Amino acid sequence: MELSDSELVKQCQAGEMSAFQELASRYYQKVYMVSLGLLRNRDDALEVAQEAFFRAYRKINSFQGGSSFYTWIYRIAVNISIDTQRRQKRNPLDFRESMDGVLEAQNEVARDPFADVHDRELREKLTKAINELTPEHKAVIVLRTIEGMSYKDIGEILGCSEGTVMSRLHYARKKLQDKLSVFL
Amino acid sequence: MTNCETIRESIGGWLDGELSPGESDSVRAHVANCAACGEVRRQLEKLHLALKDQLSAEAAGIEFLPFWRDVQQRINQKQAWHEELLDWCRDFFTAPRIAWSVPAVIALVLAAFSLDVYLPGWRFGGARNNFAAVESIDAHGRSVALLRENESKTTVIWLYQDQEGENEAAEDATKSGPAF
Repeated sequence: MELSDSELVKQCQAGEMSAFQELASRYYQKVYMVSLGLLRNRDDALEVAQEAFFRAYRKINSFQGGSSFYTWIYRIAVNISIDTQRRQKRNPLDFRESMDGVLEAQNEVARDPFADVHDRELREKLTKAINELTPEHKAVIVLRTIEGMSYKDIGEILGCSEGTVMSRLHYARKKLQDKLSVFL
Repeated sequence: MTNCETIRESIGGWLDGELSPGESDSVRAHVANCAACGEVRRQLEKLHLALKDQLSAEAAGIEFLPFWRDVQQRINQKQAWHEELLDWCRDFFTAPRIAWSVPAVIALVLAAFSLDVYLPGWRFGGARNNFAAVESIDAHGRSVALLRENESKTTVIWLYQDQEGENEAAEDATKSGPAF
């Protein structure tokens, strides 16, 4: 029988490394997707996802279970991603490199034989449009998209109210729609 | 604001299942009968799918074992002292603590300065000079000087008329006669 997240967290707090490995295997792709959605660079996203699990392991004993493990690990990943993004913005050279990485990544994805030119173009434009959003707007749209997370959970992760999540989502979607209207 | 604009603000919340049943019904009914709002709904759904597909395709390429090996390596690596200190600071100086620390520091500083009142022998910041402060106010030839001395808590008020003012007053008196 598969153990629940909270049971695995308890085992992990008792020193079971294999329990933490199980938790990591459940969420590593989602955490990577959150970081990628925010940073738009595969290497940075991978680094952030690994760092998030490392920090979660170090702090697992302070995890009280007031929230679910996945909102906790997403919160760690979002905070590291936003910090990384701010550092990159302070260093324009790093930022340019990350943009190149994104475009290269998009071309690789578009080599899928089933993807048509229109979709490829949409992906490229989507990447650029998302890059122009603020970290807070990016975070709400990425968290909502990845797991269909509720506004309450998103608010918990980002430390804001459900109303703020709703208005940020509306603003972010409107911006993306305006920029991508030709491709949608 | 037209009805369509109001509805469009709620289409996202409706698709996310975050509206109340009543609101959902009204958005659903409007979108079913309005071609322009139906188009907004279609665009939002396509946007959602495009982003989800893009991120999922990327994440699918990440193997767990190499990912885990790297995490494990970080866990097993002993942290440098400055990294541990940074971690501690990150945990300790959380936003609510920083918010509370500002009034707390102000209160502490005020308390330290007010110790003078309650502990006369105690001096904040070491021994002080026993200087007297002199302030003067000059108006229409008549001056008031205040002399304050902290050590003995003495205040002397000194009223005087300067020479120039006196001469002017004397001239005025000769011109217009006695004032009183």
